[in-house]
Order: sequence, then structure tokens, then C-alpha cells
Amino acid sequence: MGLIKNIKSYSEGIQISAEKREILTSFLSNGFPTTKDEEWKYTSLKKVIANEYSIENKGTIIDSSVIEKYSLGLKNKIIFSDGRLINSPSIKGVNINGFSEFESANTDSILQLNKALSKNGFTISVDKNTALENPIEILFFSTTVNGFSQYRNQISIGENSEVKFIERLQNLNNSASFVNHFTQINCAENTKVEYNKIQNNTAESQLIDTVNVYQEQDSTCNINTLIFGGSFIRNNLNFEQNGSNCESNMNGVSILNNNQLADNHTFVDHKSAHCRSNEMYKGVYLDNSKGVFNGKIMVRPDAQKIDAFQSNNNLLLSDTSSIDSKPQLEIYADDVKCSHGCTIGQLDDDALFYMRSRGIGIEEAKAVLTYAFASEAIENISVEQVKSLAKKLLAKKLNVDLDFSL
Amino acid sequence: MLQIKELKAGIEGNQILKGINLEVKAGEIHAIMGPNGSGKSTLSAVIAGKEEYEVEGGAISFDGENLLELDPEERAHNGIFLSFQYPVEIPGISVSNFIKTSITEKRKAQGLEPLPTKNLLKMMREKMELLSIKKGYLSRNMNEGFSGGEKKRNEIFQMAMLEPKLAILDETDSGLDIDALRIVANGVNKLRTGDNATIVITHYQRLLDYIVPDFVHVLHNGRIIKSGGKELALELEEKGYDWITKEADKKWA
Ligand SMILES: Nc1ncnc2c1ncn2[C@@H]1O[C@H](COP(=O)(O)OP(=O)(O)O)[C@@H](O)[C@H]1O
Ligand SMILES: [Mg+2]
Repeated sequence: MGLIKNIKSYSEGIQISAEKREILTSFLSNGFPTTKDEEWKYTSLKKVIANEYSIENKGTIIDSSVIEKYSLGLKNKIIFSDGRLINSPSIKGVNINGFSEFESANTDSILQLNKALSKNGFTISVDKNTALENPIEILFFSTTVNGFSQYRNQISIGENSEVKFIERLQNLNNSASFVNHFTQINCAENTKVEYNKIQNNTAESQLIDTVNVYQEQDSTCNINTLIFGGSFIRNNLNFEQNGSNCESNMNGVSILNNNQLADNHTFVDHKSAHCRSNEMYKGVYLDNSKGVFNGKIMVRPDAQKIDAFQSNNNLLLSDTSSIDSKPQLEIYADDVKCSHGCTIGQLDDDALFYMRSRGIGIEEAKAVLTYAFASEAIENISVEQVKSLAKKLLAKKLNVDLDFSL
Repeated sequence: MLQIKELKAGIEGNQILKGINLEVKAGEIHAIMGPNGSGKSTLSAVIAGKEEYEVEGGAISFDGENLLELDPEERAHNGIFLSFQYPVEIPGISVSNFIKTSITEKRKAQGLEPLPTKNLLKMMREKMELLSIKKGYLSRNMNEGFSGGEKKRNEIFQMAMLEPKLAILDETDSGLDIDALRIVANGVNKLRTGDNATIVITHYQRLLDYIVPDFVHVLHNGRIIKSGGKELALELEEKGYDWITKEADKKWA
């Protein structure tokens, strides 16, 4: 059977608008992207879509101890159980609701499918002049076995406001779930947003996660992506800068083992002058894991005085791990500072010996060097709890008992 | 404490150490001198356990245990410390974090709980004072952007924190100005007890004015060609190495 057939039979039994029906029909006839598609050249969905999925989610009660286990313990928690909103904090100046329909300018077939099928997600709007001291934690729990879910979320930040988010998708069984996750963030003038993604789902879980960010002038948006768990992860981060003095920052840390695959696709569309973008992706690959990085930077003809910086550094810690890294620069303005760099390396033997001679065991020494390698990106995260979780997960992933902090 | 017998070691079939014999007892200070390329750093790396070097023959024992069977970290846990001639930069990890990790790991190996952070920081402050190390240094990344002198001082700082039984100081004096040299030497002397020992590798007699050795050995072309008391260092300072190396070259030709 496979996912296409699952979607087909599911779609025959549901009531949807004519527009959505048309989208679905066209999706079903074209299918999922293949490696012939330039954007999916190094990342094959073949195995993911060969599986059988259950599209209808039931929704169960989640025990508070489970929530505690996966939460960072922050005061403001938005919690979903199989897409149903089960907890929503009341925060002054912030309206939090469940799913609502919205259009997105930047779209691909995966997002089309999301649009046609999604019934779940959140809608957050932050009033003008609201600076939130406490970050908002968003937890999506899934209890459905082999569930295929679409979440569709929209965040709108009013002028002069400042908010931080932490998002986590968590499977509560070990099945091969697949989530098509989409979040749109609208940043009005002079806003500051930090969105932290903790991607540490169960070993068999699969995810395509797209974020579209639309920025107005003087806004800053940071998206930090921490990838530790999950068998298949594809992230698409798309930034559109629509006013001057915008800043778009991306930090990514991937620590993969076994047969994990993580693909980070980023796109910054510099449409206005006097803007900046910084991206720093660090990947560590063990066993048979595989990484893909594709960083596209577009500077439009009128977007002068742009500073765009991109780096993708990788550590291959086994002979059978791999990384495909591709910068894609399209620059149509002439007064632009744009730099990109990609490195692929191993741990330094001299540094390993130096540490071992100080009593640090080889696995710990490797972990320290790996942490050192990734720390530059981790340190760019402003939420302390996220930073320390990242350190903990890194140590856990590398099988060492170290806390990397003093 | 340390016994080296007929040690032969090299790299990729190229023998560098050609039969070293050396015995270091608790409480002693040994100086190893010798021209560039004679094998001094190789000897210290082999004692510390650098796997790149292949031991082709001979034996090293430390407190009665066969050292050559141990991993570098186990040697450190047993009390061996090497102050590197060229300390390695470890970006992304602070000096304090690094030292905390190495002390914690050493304690773990000894079956001890980690030292409480408070005690650790207190100890760091004491040792920093001993070595006239400025504040703010603990949060810098390990050796990153350190001057030659700062790196060497950082080595001795780690030694002070780890309190080894046997410290090997490989050209710790190079890169230090006279004031720093005095501070470092003073630190080394203050850390001396009857139970620990030091091997000082140096080119210059100068350091030995401050850290006074019980024995001086001359290493040349992978062999200890002469041993003596502290006067030997003065003699070498005055006459250079030629007078003994020529003789040795004839003997081993
Ligand atoms: N890693 C290495 N690879 C190749 N040759 C080496 C290596 N380490 C040392 N040697 C060689 O061994 C000899 C001794 O070097 P070294 O121990 O550094 O001498 P010293 O410290 O006395 O100046 C030199 O000829 C040097 O080139
Ligand atoms: Mg040397």
C-alpha cells in the first residue's frame, strides 16, 4: 500500500472544500517529491512513504508525569495531544487558539498537502508592545501508532513585541510516526522572536518541518534547531525580509547516529536593503548517519548593503557517515557582503591525546571535543533551559556522563 | 617510582629512542637536556602514552606497574602529568570547564564523587594566586589565543590542580620571560613533596637555577649519553654539547 494509498482512501471519506479537494487530487497524481526533484536530490522519501500510516488521530489523555518528563518546566505551556489543544496558558497580551486556516505565499507540494489535510495546530497572536519575559513552551504529543499528522500553526507578533518559543514534538510510542509540520511566523515592525526547536523524538519517528518567516522592518528572528532523535528529519526554514534593517539568524546543531538522516534546507530571501542574515549549522555524524545541508541566499536587485553569513561545519566520526552540503548564492545587488563556508573534518588526534593525558577518557575526550565543536551554535541560544538541555542530550547521545558547564 | 629499561621507540619504522635507561625515585628532580631532535619530547610522549609512537623494546614501570599496558588516561589517573612543549588549543571549552572535567574524571577512576563546585573554585583561586594568574582567565577557551607564555603557565596551573606524582615538564621554560619563569619555577617548587617527582626537560641551564635538579642527563640521538649532578648543567652551559656528543657518536657509529 504505502502512504499515497492511505491518503487516497482517507480523503475519499472526508468532507473538504472544493479547493482542498483539487489540491489533494493534484498531490495524489503527482506524488511526493523524489530525488529527481532538485530540492530533494540528497534526501529520499522513498522509505518514509512506503510505510503504512493511520491518518485519523484519536487523542488521548496525557498524564501530567509525561508532560513533566518532556517539558523544560517553563511556566507557559501549550500542550497538544494528537493535535488536540489540551492546555493553553493565559498570558497578558497573547492570544492562543487552536487551528485556523491561513494562506502561505511560499509553498511546495508538502505544504499543499498540509493545507489540504490539516485540522490541527495553534494560532498565536501577540499584541503590540508586549515583551514576554517567560518563553512559551509548545509540546505536541502523539499517541497514535504509525500516525501521519499535519500540524498547521501561525504566529503573528505585533509591533515592538518580543517573544521566545520552545517547540517539541514527542511520540509516546515507538512507532514510525510521520509529521508534516508547518509554522508561519509573521514579524511586524521592530519585533524580536526566538524560536527553538528541540527535535529529539523517538528513534523511528519521521518529520518534515517547514517554517516560513515574514519579517517587516527592524525585526529580528532567530530560529535554533537542535536535532538529536528521529530517523528522518527534513527542515525547511524560509525567511522573507520585507523591510529594512531586518535580521534573520539560524543556528543548528545535529548529532546523529545509527541510520538517522537530517536535512536542513534554509532559504533567506533578502528583498530589502540594509538587512542581515547569519546562519551557523554544526553537524556531527556517527555510525551510518547522514546529513544534508542546503543553504540558499537570495539577494534581490534592490537589496543593497546586505550582510549575509553562512557556515556549515561537519564532523564525520565514522567511516560510513556522510554529509552533502551545498551553499546556493544568488546575488543580484552589487553592494553586498556575503560569505559562506563549509568544512568537513574529524576530531583532532593531538587534542584527543592532550585531554587523555589529563585523565579524560577517550569517549569523554571525544565528547568534549564534539561539544567544543558544537558549542558556538549552542551558545547562541538565549534560553538557558534549552542550552542546558542541548548539553545534556549531547552527552547522552555520545554515551558520556559529563555536564559541560562551570 | 619510574623505571625505564632499554626503551626503544619510534614512528613508522624510524627508531627515535634507541635504548633509554632511567630511574626516578620519589622526591627527586631529574633534568633532561640535549640538542634539538635528540628525542626528549618523544620520551615524554611515550611515558604519557601517545599511541602514535611504537614501542619496539624495553620496559617502563611506574609504581611497580607496567606502564606500557595502560591508556594515556589511566596513566594520568595513576599520577603521571605531562606539561606539553606545544600545548594544544581546545576551542569551545573554558579553562575551568576543562580542569573540572579532568579532575572529575580522575576522581571517577579512583571511585570518588565529583568535587563540589565550590571547593573546586576555591582550589582554582588558590593555585591561580600561587602562579600569579589573572582573573578572567578561567573563562577563556582552553589555550585558544594564548601567548606562548600563557600556554605554559596554563600547563603548570593544570599540574597544580591535578597534583601528579610524576610531572614531566617539556621545555616549560621556553616562551617564558624571566619573571614568568621565576613564578612558574616557584610554583613547581611549592608543589614539591617527598612523595612526588619531577622530570624537567630543558635546553637552558637558566631554569635549573630555580628548579634545582638532583640529577642531570644528556639525551642525544635517542640515548642518554651522560648523567651527573647539577654541576653537569653548568658545564654544558659553558662548553655546549659537542664535547660529549662527538664522543658518543664515535661510540655508537
Ligand atoms: N610524530 C613524528 N613523526 C615523525 N618524526 C618524529 C615525530 N616525532 C618526533 N620525530 C622525530 O624524532 C626526533 C626526535 O624529536 P623530538 O623528540 O621532538 O626531539 P626533542 O624534543 O629532543 O627536540 C626528531 O628527528 C623528530 O623529527
Ligand atoms: Mg622537544
